[in-house]
Amino acid sequence: MEFNYQKLFLALLPDLLVVVALFAALGVDYSCLRGSRLAKRYQVACQISAAGLIAGMAVLLLQLTQAWSFTALASMTDGQLVLTSGTLTLKALLYGMGLGVLPLAKRDQITPQVSEYFALLLLATLGMGFVVTSRNLLGAFVALELVSLSFYAMTVLNQAKRASAEAALKYLTFGAVASGFLLFGLSYLYGATGQLDLTQMTDLQHSPLLVLAYLLIFVGLGFKLALAPFHLWAPDVYQNAPTPVAGWVGSGSKIAAAALLVTLLQPVFTSPELKAELIPALAALAVASMLVGNLGALRQTNLKRLLAYSAIANAGYLLVGVMAFTVEGNTSVIFYILVYSLASLGAFGVVAVLTDTLGRDAEINDFNGCWKTTPGLAVAFLVFVLSLAGIPPLAGFLGKFYLFFAAIGATPEVATWHDGFYWLVAFALIMSVVSLYYYLRVLRAFLVAPADEEVLVKTGWAAGVTLCVLAIAVLALGLWPEPLLTLLRH
Amino acid sequence: MTALLTVILSFIGALVCGLMPSSTHRRIRWVALAVAAAGLVVSMVCCVNYPGGDFADLVAADWIPSLGIGFATGYDGISLPLLLVTGLVAVCGVLFSWTLETRANQFYAFYFALIGGVYGVFLSLDLFLLFVFYEIAVVPKYFLIAIWGGARRHFAAMKLVLYSFGGSALVLLGMLAVFFLAHDASGEALKTFNLLELQQGQVPAAAQQWIFPLIFVGFAIMAGMWPFHTWAPTGHVAAPTAASMLLAGVVMKLGAYGCLRVAVGLLPEGALAWAPWVAVVAIINIVYGALVALKQDDFKYVIGYSSVSHMGFVLLGIATLNLTGMTGAVLQMFSHGVIGALLFALVGTVIYTRTKTRMLDELHRLIDRMPGIAWVFVVAGLASMGLPGFSGFISELYVLIGAWGELSGWIVSGAGAGILLTFGYTLVKIHEAFFRERTHSPDSQSETPYPPMTLPEKTGVAILLGASLLIGLCPWLLTHKISASLELLVNRLPN
Repeated sequence: MEFNYQKLFLALLPDLLVVVALFAALGVDYSCLRGSRLAKRYQVACQISAAGLIAGMAVLLLQLTQAWSFTALASMTDGQLVLTSGTLTLKALLYGMGLGVLPLAKRDQITPQVSEYFALLLLATLGMGFVVTSRNLLGAFVALELVSLSFYAMTVLNQAKRASAEAALKYLTFGAVASGFLLFGLSYLYGATGQLDLTQMTDLQHSPLLVLAYLLIFVGLGFKLALAPFHLWAPDVYQNAPTPVAGWVGSGSKIAAAALLVTLLQPVFTSPELKAELIPALAALAVASMLVGNLGALRQTNLKRLLAYSAIANAGYLLVGVMAFTVEGNTSVIFYILVYSLASLGAFGVVAVLTDTLGRDAEINDFNGCWKTTPGLAVAFLVFVLSLAGIPPLAGFLGKFYLFFAAIGATPEVATWHDGFYWLVAFALIMSVVSLYYYLRVLRAFLVAPADEEVLVKTGWAAGVTLCVLAIAVLALGLWPEPLLTLLRH
Repeated sequence: MTALLTVILSFIGALVCGLMPSSTHRRIRWVALAVAAAGLVVSMVCCVNYPGGDFADLVAADWIPSLGIGFATGYDGISLPLLLVTGLVAVCGVLFSWTLETRANQFYAFYFALIGGVYGVFLSLDLFLLFVFYEIAVVPKYFLIAIWGGARRHFAAMKLVLYSFGGSALVLLGMLAVFFLAHDASGEALKTFNLLELQQGQVPAAAQQWIFPLIFVGFAIMAGMWPFHTWAPTGHVAAPTAASMLLAGVVMKLGAYGCLRVAVGLLPEGALAWAPWVAVVAIINIVYGALVALKQDDFKYVIGYSSVSHMGFVLLGIATLNLTGMTGAVLQMFSHGVIGALLFALVGTVIYTRTKTRMLDELHRLIDRMPGIAWVFVVAGLASMGLPGFSGFISELYVLIGAWGELSGWIVSGAGAGILLTFGYTLVKIHEAFFRERTHSPDSQSETPYPPMTLPEKTGVAILLGASLLIGLCPWLLTHKISASLELLVNRLPN
């Protein structure tokens, strides 16, 4: 098919708008606002970035209504741009969540490098958008690196905090090694198939090279998803990065990595031998992550660290859906990571709002009595944490249910207990019960314990709206998930 | 649609109460009473309108069609008594919390969220929907106990919630297995969570053997089945009165209802194979619960263990798998719901607010100092023992007749021993609490009478005791409806 620049321009318009906003934020901050007050600079940078993301989302929604007209792009660009209703929805949601991070970043003015902060946030969002729309090995890898590099830099933005630097260094070294593994795996995949375009990769035959390729990919993406035993960076980064950044690491980057994982595994669906070889590896990762995450979280006293361990555990649940190796399984994984990210971002948002006046790392006990001082935030936090714990009617429950549904649906009839995924689902369910202990411990501080002292917290309208929208989304997706599921399936 | 109003009203009530400022607790309690009473009225209307036999008042709508999940509700003779008992206990729970002031708005928000979930479970005709409501009923319990509870409330609340979720984890696994394995007569997979469709189809017999224990035990944990009953006494004791009334009155019934409706209703062959084991556990529940109750010093623990013992009769009735026994089981759910709630209300609020202690050692000739309350308690104790004239007598009789001949003689004699033990501990504890002189107790010198019962307390006692008496004297009001619906269930059991 002939290369069509007009179509390409239209397809890339959302990303272009974000890039324009990125440069505008940098330019304005460097020129007009030189010497202005910090608050003013944050205000302007946040507004420009928000405008870019809103414009991008608007174009994405327009594209979504005529997603069919972009079908030819995939073949034109070697799978670099696959714009279907599923990928466009995901991208729009990522932009939306990125938009939600901006007011949180504006609140705690941790760094004098204002425009760089927002430029990096936009870059990370841009990269995530590319990862989820790309079906090309190289394109996806580069986009994922864009995400990671932005996050390495953002982790260390708070230069007053030494622990931040340590966490960032850990993140960078682990992350770089992981990227190496991922690239190595992708090169093997390319070597075995002769294809960079995942949409062309069909009918994989079983070969040791492919198994090796996928194992390397699991290591690489395992780091990004914080799967045990590749999770060591996560607690430090979650605890010491600026809270909005930690929230965005724990949501957006997870969506990108999970989306890439299921895309990369799509060609395996038709090869039972390959599946049989990969399932034990994935099962081991899943079991290890659930164990490490849930048992680790039991002992945490720092809320952000606890959320990090909960993220590890949730990545473990996620793999249960991946292992189904069905289209249903893929949809369940994407749906799960989406609702998980909404809740996780919301929880970090509440923490960000409540701790910026504290001036130190917040322990769980610091949130005692929130029901009295900030009832709205306490209710929002209740929604987010119960969704993370998987309590109906919130979206987190449906996400988890769908994962298990897909896994058992892959092989429902079993002869012995270790056939199929009943045992794995049972294990995941037991671990969910364990997780309830620490989630309730956190909620006890927020909703049960009496207030220690009267603190005055100003939420700010932007952060308030963000948290409100996130909470409503978590509730709505639990009550009425069908529209989103339909969009994601195509 | 009428029956669904109970759920909708409760959730709206939760929202309204939660949004009212806590300083207006006097207004909140009237709102709460109105919401609870509305729920009771709706369930009574349902009871009057129910034609008998099969499900009535069906509502069916698509919910998540791609996962085989629908929104289906309706009720039959099995759910009807439970709807009634939920309404009764909800109203009386508000009456016995009449003096509550701290965080009253949040209290009733959690209270009605719990009640809405309970109504929802009894009305659901879709397995997924049932599960959702079942879980909705769990979380508020944590907060009710942890915020307004007594000593050791954090431990008790956490234990209760973890046990509940452990049970639901088992249920969820079994539920998924049923979804994928159930097939219709022609062998085609059903792939639905709809209970009515699943009842028409069947699950392969071999699979039923392992799915049945999963679902049954999962639900029975909530029903207080030995050896998973330990959440019940600690939870009941630590909970505030309204919450322990709900726990004993309706939440334990959720579990038993799930055992009957889902485990036995969908997996008849599994039920047949496992029934003897269920009967053994039921007897352990009855006898062990009664023996432990006999040894307790804390009045509330006595009632807590008596709940465990009484729930054993429900399990035993289910294990008979015949019409008489299961009718007894459902009637016992109603009966214990009413009586258990009454006993908790008397011990937790009526007596405790006056004596400030629940330890039997410290109570001193209450019969002289609160004669009215003491006699009410004696009557409630007689009702709990299953004296003729009260509902407990009818239900236990049904269960025993059902068990006679169906189950081995050891089981029946075990149940008989349990009844004797129930007589024993009830009389002993009534004596210790009300009639015994404690010369060494701290306030043994004091002979001042306690204030009499307040109007809300009197109303609550009258409602609960009246319900038990009414069903005890006219059991046909419920038994006809229960039996007609159970017959359909029993007919599906293989012989």
